[in-house]
Amino acid sequence: MPATIDTTEGTCALDLLKAPVTVLVGHFGSGKTEIAVNLAVALKHRGENVTLADLDLVKPYFRSRLARHELASLGIPVMVPEGDRVYADLPILVPQVKGLVATAGNGVGRAVLDVGGDDLGARVLGAIAGLTDPAHTDVLFVVNGRRPFAETLEEVVTMLREVEAASRLRVTGLVANTHLMDETTPEVVGEGLALAQRLAGLTGIPLLFCAVLEKLSGSPDIRAVVGELPVLPLVRRITPPFAVKARLPVPQKGAAVV
Amino acid sequence: MAKKLMKGCEAIGEAAINAGCRLFFGYPITPQNEIPEYLSARLPQVGGTFLQAESEVAASNMLYGAAGAGCRVFTSSSSPGISLMMEAMSYLAGAELPVVVVNIMRGGPGLGGILPSQSDYFQATKGGGHGDYRVLVLAPSTVQEAVDLTQDAFDLADEYRNPVMVVGDGLIGQMMEPVEFKRTISPEDLPPKPWATTGCAGRKPNIINSLLLNPEHLEAHNWHLHRKYQEMVKEIRWEDWLLDEPVDVLIVAYGTVARICKTAIDVLRARGIKVGLFRPITLYPFPEPQLSAAVDKAKKVLVTELSTGQMLEDVRAVVAGRKPVSFFGRVGGMVMTPEEIEHEVDKLVVQG
Repeated sequence: MPATIDTTEGTCALDLLKAPVTVLVGHFGSGKTEIAVNLAVALKHRGENVTLADLDLVKPYFRSRLARHELASLGIPVMVPEGDRVYADLPILVPQVKGLVATAGNGVGRAVLDVGGDDLGARVLGAIAGLTDPAHTDVLFVVNGRRPFAETLEEVVTMLREVEAASRLRVTGLVANTHLMDETTPEVVGEGLALAQRLAGLTGIPLLFCAVLEKLSGSPDIRAVVGELPVLPLVRRITPPFAVKARLPVPQKGAAVV
Repeated sequence: MAKKLMKGCEAIGEAAINAGCRLFFGYPITPQNEIPEYLSARLPQVGGTFLQAESEVAASNMLYGAAGAGCRVFTSSSSPGISLMMEAMSYLAGAELPVVVVNIMRGGPGLGGILPSQSDYFQATKGGGHGDYRVLVLAPSTVQEAVDLTQDAFDLADEYRNPVMVVGDGLIGQMMEPVEFKRTISPEDLPPKPWATTGCAGRKPNIINSLLLNPEHLEAHNWHLHRKYQEMVKEIRWEDWLLDEPVDVLIVAYGTVARICKTAIDVLRARGIKVGLFRPITLYPFPEPQLSAAVDKAKKVLVTELSTGQMLEDVRAVVAGRKPVSFFGRVGGMVMTPEEIEHEVDKLVVQG
């Protein structure tokens, strides 16, 4: 199932990520993990050598490490705490992540860093050297305006600044990800886009793309709302056990373009 | 109010606020930390008090004080923390104090792990603390149901002057789903509690106590409590799913596990296998007559839980040997897949 292929015309979301390192930050529950996993898969589809680092030191369940075996089967290594500590809710920064960030782009491919929510989760980034150069690192702030404490412009701009202060990084791009899972409507996406656009206007940080569940991303109603903005179609991969699980597609080298 | 995307824990916290609760006392433990985390931000916004106690023992006794003063109050914890609260739970039941306690269950025994479990069923439904007492136990299977049942829990606690527990496996607390808050009440609009210790100027003092040295009085008190617990049967809630026609296999499951079963049942039904689900929503009182009626429609019964077989005992008591009862459990934080449930049903069907 080539779910992460965007078949529509226009600029592709991935083309906007020029730097070898992509960091996902934002409110708790804004969708960083699913976007990180989907980005990693999409980059792999393009034939890129990509490694995902699970730096979520905040939430105990539904972390990107849950997909580590499936991702590994696609040739995407996932950096996680070793041994039984992978199951713990301890603030463990895997030391290899520092090496990954330092060497990314130097012929060793790309890195996607999935970071925990809020300023609390972003704090770990301050311990990693080499993230401050925008040519080396894209820092993406994910916005879901249907999440608690992320509903108003004031709330999202405050969190953005707190994340920047805690991580000692500047956010370089915004990702609109307002949704209600299976109950997402064009109105919900539209509201969220408006919020992200106002955040972009206030901060001067560009809104790069809009993430939309893959099964909705082709809908003309959704497309009408999103307009020219690139769309990143998302397949939910970190799901509860009752979900009918999305199987990861096996990438064929050079076959898929996002 | 527009729908929000919330984690179960956050939604439970917001539900308490919508139920007019302005007091939370608790102590952190995974996987329910998002309840105190959420309320530490939200309660000050609505004029409430969030207090991180020095332990679960302290928090649960703070509940005793606040409930005695007539306030809606609640706490949440996870399995090992709930064990620490069991002494207070017995005192609260003995003193007839309404509180809401949420247990987002993780694997045990001991410190166990942080992943989902339903292995505190006995503790919740059969006592947990000492003495002849019961608490009303509600078990949601969606985040929306967690909201609705948490709000109801406050009303039920007040009505019966008794602790009410809301129990969810870790997934209920951690998964995100769209929710809405259908009703809201402010603390000023709650019914009065004439028994509360609110200052006795102009009236006889109210006394809240669980010490009754005179055995005749203590026996009378115990029978009074017992009658109250028997009255709770009118609060029984359950869900029949695909049970209009007779079935070959009746699955009995609650909480998130019931949803895993529904996913499996969809596949089984598509293959022509007649299978339905009975989901207890109140775990105490257990929906005995309702389950009994469902069992009458089934050839076989399959109980599945995230335990080594706790609710199983209540199901067996209802079935009373009329039909074969089999069991499938996963424990320790391992969660069954829909495929495993399909396989268990297939085995029962093949046996004929």
